[in-house]
Amino acid sequence: MKVFKKIIVFVLTATMVFSLSACSKSAAPETEVKQETGTTATEAPKKIEKIVYSYATFNNIPDEATLGSVEEAINQITREKIGVEVELLPIAIFDYSSNISLALQGGDKVDLFESLGDFNNAVSSDMAYDLTSLIDTAAPETKALLGQDLLNACVKEGKLYGIPTYKPYALTPMVIYKQEIATELGIDMTQVKNITDLTDVLRKVKAAYPDMTPLVPVQTGTSGVNMCIPKVDYLTDDYFSPKGILMGDNMSVVDYYGTTEFSDLCNLTRTWYNEGLILQDAATTTSTSTELMSSDNSFCYVASYSYPPEDTAASLEAQCGGIDLGAVQIGDAYLDTTSVNALSWMVSSTSKAPEAALKFLNLTFTDPEIINLLIYGIKDRDYVLDAEGFVSYPQGLDATTVPYTAQLSCGTLGNFFLMYPMGGTNKDSIAWEEEQNVKAAKSPAMGFTFDSGEVETEYTAVTNVIQQYLPGLLCGSIDPQTAIPEFRDKLTVAGLDTIIAAKQSQLDAWLAQK
Amino acid sequence: MKTVKNKNNRGLTKNGPLLLIALPGIAYLFINNYIPMFGVFLAFKDYSYVKGIFGSDWSGFDNFKYLFKQDAFIIVRNTLLYNVSFIVIGTIAAIVVAILMCELGERFRVKFFQSSMLLPNLLSWVVISFIGFAFLNSDTGFINNSVIKLFGGKEVAWYTTPKYWPVILVLVYLWKSVGYSSIIYMASISGIDKSIFEAAKIDGATKLKQIRHVTIPLLKPTVIILTLMAVGRIFYSDFGLFYQVPMNSGALYDVTQTIDTYVYHGLMELNNIGMSAAAGLYQSVIGFVLVMIANTVVRKVDNENALF
Repeated sequence: MKVFKKIIVFVLTATMVFSLSACSKSAAPETEVKQETGTTATEAPKKIEKIVYSYATFNNIPDEATLGSVEEAINQITREKIGVEVELLPIAIFDYSSNISLALQGGDKVDLFESLGDFNNAVSSDMAYDLTSLIDTAAPETKALLGQDLLNACVKEGKLYGIPTYKPYALTPMVIYKQEIATELGIDMTQVKNITDLTDVLRKVKAAYPDMTPLVPVQTGTSGVNMCIPKVDYLTDDYFSPKGILMGDNMSVVDYYGTTEFSDLCNLTRTWYNEGLILQDAATTTSTSTELMSSDNSFCYVASYSYPPEDTAASLEAQCGGIDLGAVQIGDAYLDTTSVNALSWMVSSTSKAPEAALKFLNLTFTDPEIINLLIYGIKDRDYVLDAEGFVSYPQGLDATTVPYTAQLSCGTLGNFFLMYPMGGTNKDSIAWEEEQNVKAAKSPAMGFTFDSGEVETEYTAVTNVIQQYLPGLLCGSIDPQTAIPEFRDKLTVAGLDTIIAAKQSQLDAWLAQK
Repeated sequence: MKTVKNKNNRGLTKNGPLLLIALPGIAYLFINNYIPMFGVFLAFKDYSYVKGIFGSDWSGFDNFKYLFKQDAFIIVRNTLLYNVSFIVIGTIAAIVVAILMCELGERFRVKFFQSSMLLPNLLSWVVISFIGFAFLNSDTGFINNSVIKLFGGKEVAWYTTPKYWPVILVLVYLWKSVGYSSIIYMASISGIDKSIFEAAKIDGATKLKQIRHVTIPLLKPTVIILTLMAVGRIFYSDFGLFYQVPMNSGALYDVTQTIDTYVYHGLMELNNIGMSAAAGLYQSVIGFVLVMIANTVVRKVDNENALF
């Protein structure tokens, strides 16, 4: 019996050891292969530097072979032009920020990444490389293209840390509605000029369809109305969690939640809520506007887009189940620092080849071939181009089945205006969008970025309070009469005043320098 | 002296292979649970990606401040009270279920009920939150549309009315966990010597008396060990339960915000590594202190059953 036990123990141990060694063996060849390719690259006659370009994708992540083919196509251009080889690292949008921060922490190679709304955080935790002097030698074309005004949005304490994506920046608030219902009830949507005009329209729809909730939220906890307050500079805060803001041309930082504009807005949404005009669970539903619009139970939603209204409606139709949509503008676009630097490209502070990285970044702003390879993949395999220069998917394929596409990331990579337009859009729109960038009203504090480092404790506490109250207020599900005073009391306890004071003093210092 | 040495040697030859088998497990524990403990440094650092973990500047207790900033009382209260009620109600419910199951007797019935009670435990919180949503949704929910209408009551906006949520959360927790935790008690009950029950029966004890005087006293060691283990995690909360099930509704934060959800909400925007590490350390330290206290109490009352 004892012997038998011993044998079993021996066999078990042996299998364990073997299986472990088997694991390490199967892993070994891979690393060898990698090393080989590494050496051949460095042995090439002209010294070629390798960089990793990591971007957020809203599409499927392609398999390795497909990615490799796109990489190769890009590298054929970049080897020649700038002596750089690129490795593409697409990451799904939901994971992007956390993956990048983990990669940089763990010492993984990532040379180029985008700051998704986190410009300040990326800079204050030293994630970004100082590009101030490098840009003149490595990316002069990009510097000229964007101009100092736009680049200033990525400047902090006199140093340039990022390059904003060149795209239509100006977000214009609009109402997106179902054309069929509007026509049937004889509602003239062009008469809707601002957010308060919407109430009567909603009432009419409700009267005709008592079971319908005419207005749906654009995403969880936001009815889209917050963007309708004109001329607000969020001073580097998230649109969904403003702390201290500037209003109009007045250069003193104010508490957003203390403004009459804000309480008027809350009263308006409360009226909608009480009359059943807005989805009752708007503050908590996880359905997005496009899903909600696909159902028969809705009429419109309010959101801000950077494309002309007609184009916006046209491009949303497919996502909303193919129904006929219309769009009407209900406010004007306003440019502040956040709208420009929300999406900026950064060279990582851990990069071994910052110059090569910046050179490649320069190409994504100036070389149409590169940017279109990144967005659409390889011509005739991943997309086809018609005679007028519009892109469509090859016969029988769509965005989910082509081998490579990052089409939904358009406007986040490099230069949007160099991309081939998708079929069905209007070429005049591009002119409209570029014009908006120039024409839209600009905040007087354009270029100022707020460093939240010194008030991080308060920032965290205030963010929590805002998440508790703001969605409910903006969707009308809590009563502003009682909730706003309560909300503001809690904000004071959490330290909002400290944040506002810090903002004011940084802003004053910035103004004095200017 | 010699004999002792011999004994030791024999111990090694006897246990050597077993140790070898345990080696992968120990290695895993070391890599997964011990090495990351060095991350504790981060709680006291102003983390910079360039300077790295050890090179970053020290920041003292700055990273901990936000945990005590605002609503600290509400958050700690919620975390502790929910966990205490989960431990108390959960244990009672699990024991009741275990006893009932054991009394069912017939194999098929036991298997059937056990499987159906285990099922919720296999569902993820996201799925459960949508089952909850189907009940509580204010436009189309089952309770508002069928139950309340039937009795002619007034519709309730569940996701914006905090007062119902302590009950809802406890019910949901029980529904999900009771089947699973009753298994351990069922195992202990079937481990009880049948002759004790027979003796009790001969002495004229009814079923209820048997349960009160035999089953429950003999379950005590199991209850104590499981409770002690639960106390160690009393400062952690089930994130899915408190975040997903109330659909992250702001209006409910006063009764649903726990330490984990608070940290998540606060740091989602900031992505601050030092502050997250601080929160983790804070929870572990309090958990450790509570286990020590609970164990001391148990040792005083019933030395045999103390953990150490």
